[in-house]
Amino acid sequence: MRTAHPTRPRRTSADGKPLLSLEDVQVSYGGIKALRGVSLEVRSGEIVAMIGANGAGKTTTLKTVMRLLPLSHGTITYAGEMVSGLGPEELVSRGVSLVPEGRAIFPNLTVRENLEVGAYLHKDAKTMRETIEDVTALFPRLGERMKQEGGTLSGGEQQMLAIGRAMMARPELLLLDEPSLGIAPKLVQQIFAAIRRIAEAGVTILLVEQNTRLALQVSHRAYVLRTGEIALSGSSAELAANQEVQAAYLGG
Amino acid sequence: MAGAQAGSTRPMGSGLLKQIALFGGGLLVALLLDFTLDKAISDSSIRQLLMMAACNILVALSLNVINGMAGQFSIGHAGFLGLGGYSAAVVSANLHEALGGGEATFGKSFIVVPVSLLVAALLSGIAGLFVGLPSLRLKGDYLAIVTLGFSEIFRLVIATAQIGDKETIAHAWSSAGSPRGFVHAISVMITSLGGQNGYAGPKDAGVPLYAGPFWVVGLAFVLGVVAWRLKFSGWGRALRALREDEIAAAAVGVDPTRYKVTSFVISAVGAGIAGGLMAMNRDGTPIVQPDSYNFQASFDAITMVILGGSGSVTGAAIGGVFVTFTVKAIELLQSTSAVQALKQRFESLDLNALRMIIYAAVLIALMIVRPEGLLGERELFQKKAPSPAKAK
Ligand SMILES: Nc1ncnc2c1ncn2[C@@H]1O[C@H](COP(=O)(O)OP(=O)(O)OP(=O)(O)O)[C@@H](O)[C@H]1O
Ligand SMILES: [Mg+2]
Repeated sequence: MRTAHPTRPRRTSADGKPLLSLEDVQVSYGGIKALRGVSLEVRSGEIVAMIGANGAGKTTTLKTVMRLLPLSHGTITYAGEMVSGLGPEELVSRGVSLVPEGRAIFPNLTVRENLEVGAYLHKDAKTMRETIEDVTALFPRLGERMKQEGGTLSGGEQQMLAIGRAMMARPELLLLDEPSLGIAPKLVQQIFAAIRRIAEAGVTILLVEQNTRLALQVSHRAYVLRTGEIALSGSSAELAANQEVQAAYLGG
Repeated sequence: MAGAQAGSTRPMGSGLLKQIALFGGGLLVALLLDFTLDKAISDSSIRQLLMMAACNILVALSLNVINGMAGQFSIGHAGFLGLGGYSAAVVSANLHEALGGGEATFGKSFIVVPVSLLVAALLSGIAGLFVGLPSLRLKGDYLAIVTLGFSEIFRLVIATAQIGDKETIAHAWSSAGSPRGFVHAISVMITSLGGQNGYAGPKDAGVPLYAGPFWVVGLAFVLGVVAWRLKFSGWGRALRALREDEIAAAAVGVDPTRYKVTSFVISAVGAGIAGGLMAMNRDGTPIVQPDSYNFQASFDAITMVILGGSGSVTGAAIGGVFVTFTVKAIELLQSTSAVQALKQRFESLDLNALRMIIYAAVLIALMIVRPEGLLGERELFQKKAPSPAKAK
């Protein structure tokens, strides 16, 4: 998996500063506060998980990072720059990609077209071709179905396509929103294996996941979100051992 | 348009040659038609039918940008067609006078047609910009009402502007210093379009019919290729992606605002050209009338697109031809002696109403058998994956 992007400087995990940081981020839908001051950090090379119950604000957090939602308070910093005032296209070109919740692929576009749209901001033909090769190496099932319409793929394949599409922009930070949602266990294994390979290739990952066990297994650190606030945070091993987490999210 | 050239990894050299051959071939055929059609087909009504079909292909292709590719719903396409038709009629008639009148020759058409169509496309495109802006805040039915409002306002403003004296436009403008004078001058201009009776040139000598088969068929061909390319360009791909999932499209960097408005502008420009060609069609009538641009015309355009398959370029073309021939078939039926005899007895008999019944029947049948239209989003002649970015 080639992750370097021709027009973007390569950052290393060595510089010690967080790649992404949110400070006291507040977001409301109309009058309803969905995020009540979320602060978190993701460092280069990390896999960070965000867990929490339905409606805790996980999707809202990822959409806000991607600048798809306006924030009413707080700041978002990416690679040392304030990005709270920018639009989604700026985030994409800086190296952030989102895999939206619920396999939001483009059902009437072919698999290939779905991938090509993913490279929307990076039109360099050679890079696009190479990235398609890499994505199909990562998910061979996609390679076999390039001419098929996205909507005709199985649920698991659609999730693969959504991840592949996000990878087309050669992101530095990948935001994943519930990649295991409604997918058969066997395919979930495949998808998480792919996520590990993406991380090994040097992509930083912020993972939202309902499957807490899986999330804590794959990640280095994790945040627990509860009604729009960070309730707990720590290394994933610590959190997995935490009684409160076990009781609330691990069913034990 | 940024993005139109995205993903063009096809080898340049052979592609360029192929394209020159394609366009050259198409235009050559159109040129031959221009000189031979009158001789080959002596029945002018059949010639008219063929030219109408070519024009309707453009009507369908242009509406397909909004209703098919962008997934919005416009029911006011007639407004853009009318704006194009009237613009081209006024410009070509005046230009014709300026060139000394006389016969509308093939040579002069190379001045008159491009200039008239340019003005038609421009004005229609500007209208498209203004009608497209509400699309940022409105969706579905609400947006449809805006488009319908636009086209009905356009039609009614022209149709009802009959009052007023025979003041000349020049005179009206000379005293247009005050706001009242300005409004007066504008209304004199609109009145000069002939109201309900229609516009037939500055001296009522008829709109000069410069657009022979070369222009009509040539442009249908060229713009058809453009529409095809547009669909599979980075721009078209992004537009279709936006239609399917706005959040996901925005997340890959597609700016919804820009795409929605530009799709309206592009569609309106296409409709302006189509309307202009119809107004100047050599085998058509030398007059433009507001009633040609009523809701029925918008509905015909919608039928063309839905029938062929929303989003499909070849489908839209097929839909355009089908609707043209249905209209013609009913006209022929009207003139048969049996129907004429019936008409003697029942004066209000109008078989045009049949058209709605035929469309309705076809659309309902389609909804049952093929809800996505004849071709769905697919294309005829599309064997390999549409994408240009195929690994070599
Ligand atoms: N478009 C919206 N309009 C109004 N309220 C919304 C909207 N989207 C989300 N919310 C509310 O914001 C809160 C957080 O929602 P969010 O989707 O971020 O939760 P989540 O943690 O992703 O939940 P899940 O695990 O079910 O996906 C919820 O109370 C939800 O009802
Ligand atoms: Mg969610």
